[in-house]
Amino acid sequence: MKKLFYKYFLLIEIFVVSSLFPQDRLSIQFDYANKLFQTSQYFDAITEYKRLLFFDEAKKYSYKAYFQIGKCYKAGAKFDEAIKYFSTASINAANENEKLSVYFEIVRTNISRRTTSRALQILDEIEKENTNTFIRDSINYWRGWTYIFADDWKNAADAFSKIKSDHELKKLCEQVEKEKVSVTFTKAISYFLPGAGEVYSGNILSGSITFGWNLLFGYLTINSFAEERIFDGMVIGSLGWLRFYRGNIQSAEESAKQKNIAIANKILKYLQYEYKGAKP
Amino acid sequence: MIIKRTKSHIAEIFCNVLCVFVITVVSVNAQKLNDDFFSPKSRLSFGNYLFLEKDYLRASNEYKEFLKTDNNDTVRFKLSESFLRIGRYEEAANNFKSLFFSTSLTDEARLGLFKSLFFEKNFVRFRQYRLEENYTTEKFSHDIDRLNYISYFFDSEPLPDSSRLFSAFADLNRADIKKFYYMKKNPDTKNPVTAALLSAAIPGLGKIYTGEIGDGITSLITTGLLVFLSANNFRHDHNFRGWLFAGFAALAYGGNIYGSAASAQIYNAGVKFNFDNEVKLFFEKHNYFLPEFDFVNR
Repeated sequence: MKKLFYKYFLLIEIFVVSSLFPQDRLSIQFDYANKLFQTSQYFDAITEYKRLLFFDEAKKYSYKAYFQIGKCYKAGAKFDEAIKYFSTASINAANENEKLSVYFEIVRTNISRRTTSRALQILDEIEKENTNTFIRDSINYWRGWTYIFADDWKNAADAFSKIKSDHELKKLCEQVEKEKVSVTFTKAISYFLPGAGEVYSGNILSGSITFGWNLLFGYLTINSFAEERIFDGMVIGSLGWLRFYRGNIQSAEESAKQKNIAIANKILKYLQYEYKGAKP
Repeated sequence: MIIKRTKSHIAEIFCNVLCVFVITVVSVNAQKLNDDFFSPKSRLSFGNYLFLEKDYLRASNEYKEFLKTDNNDTVRFKLSESFLRIGRYEEAANNFKSLFFSTSLTDEARLGLFKSLFFEKNFVRFRQYRLEENYTTEKFSHDIDRLNYISYFFDSEPLPDSSRLFSAFADLNRADIKKFYYMKKNPDTKNPVTAALLSAAIPGLGKIYTGEIGDGITSLITTGLLVFLSANNFRHDHNFRGWLFAGFAALAYGGNIYGSAASAQIYNAGVKFNFDNEVKLFFEKHNYFLPEFDFVNR
């Protein structure tokens, strides 16, 4: 009899305890909002996190909910809103680790928003207050990404090399830096030999045509002066030769910039689709 | 022995019943606890919180859910107001209309409808409804009239009688309204035809007329120089060059006439843009002189 009673009592107790205590209604709501977040339903997820915040009188979930709202806005590319909510999460952070998580998210949002100088500023501030090796690695990692988005591949490679001398991203950044052409050099050689800059940056046909036009108008101008047709020489020189000569320098600069963008885009595409590590 | 067995059997039945009872009670309570966040009452208070936070889209969703189970005029009004504030004017107007009859907010709803039409810039329907008895309200007739007068600053219809328009506003704002009225009535615009004719008479003069003094002087010098070069070449029997420069001069002359007319149009567009902006900022600052309802912000 007693044995039977204890058996049923235990059964009921297990049920009651498992029904009520491990998952209170706030945690159920938090899980529900997280599920929406995981399925990329960001608008609804924000609503549910906000509902959680509204009913969470003890502010038990303030940090987590604000943090997640920030992540939702970030995923929806609403970076200003995301930073606003991350900042509120940092106010509600219970310890240094939570604060750090928020700061790194703010950095990542700034990288995505392309406000890279702000990202660097925050990283510098974190660095001042933390000497831990693991944190330093994170700082350098995100600093590297910041430089990538700022199109500063040399500094990016330096930042990644501080984590590991043969870091995968360091090698990629060095590859970009190596492949990129110097805009100044491209322009400079175009001053001496029209079309050379374009040829140097890979536009051989365009560079050859530029060279041809300059040659033709140069000949016509010099010929006019040689035959003492000063007015003709001035008109052809200013309206023809000078136009092609200046155009050659501008084209060289544009061509070099385009080539550099193409090189950077190729690597960014790789980072977006193939790279497995953390991304902004 | 038999009695002992019966006792044990009864105890087992009792425990089974107790077990089912407790499980049922706990399940119902647990369900109730989970449902609490989504009960109509909770949805309403959460909706009001979102409304005050200016998150009108989410607030409207909560109000809609609340109204599925409960009919409440204030909530329907706030739902309409939410739609109005997020620019979903048609839905706002329809919801305001649903509050027209037998509700305590019939007058506020009518004003709401006019607000929806005004912010939608549907001024034709606004003025049409204003004349229909079904849509008007004694309580806010003055506000609707004022809104109607404001609407003339935002469309191309001729302005109404000045004394009636001015009297719709308080003395404090009358000076600004008068300024806008006369700016709208006699805008400081430039006539494109005049600009073109002036440039036809003296190259560049049309541009100077539209305020582009630098451009005007450049046009005059360029056209004059090209005409001189053409005439000079003809005089020295360089006919080809004479015609070449004559062609350039004609292009510069024609382009300058066209450019002067275009410059006047650009100038006028700038005047209109600045006026529209100034008027919009002024009325926005004063919330279009519309009344505020305390119950909305509770």
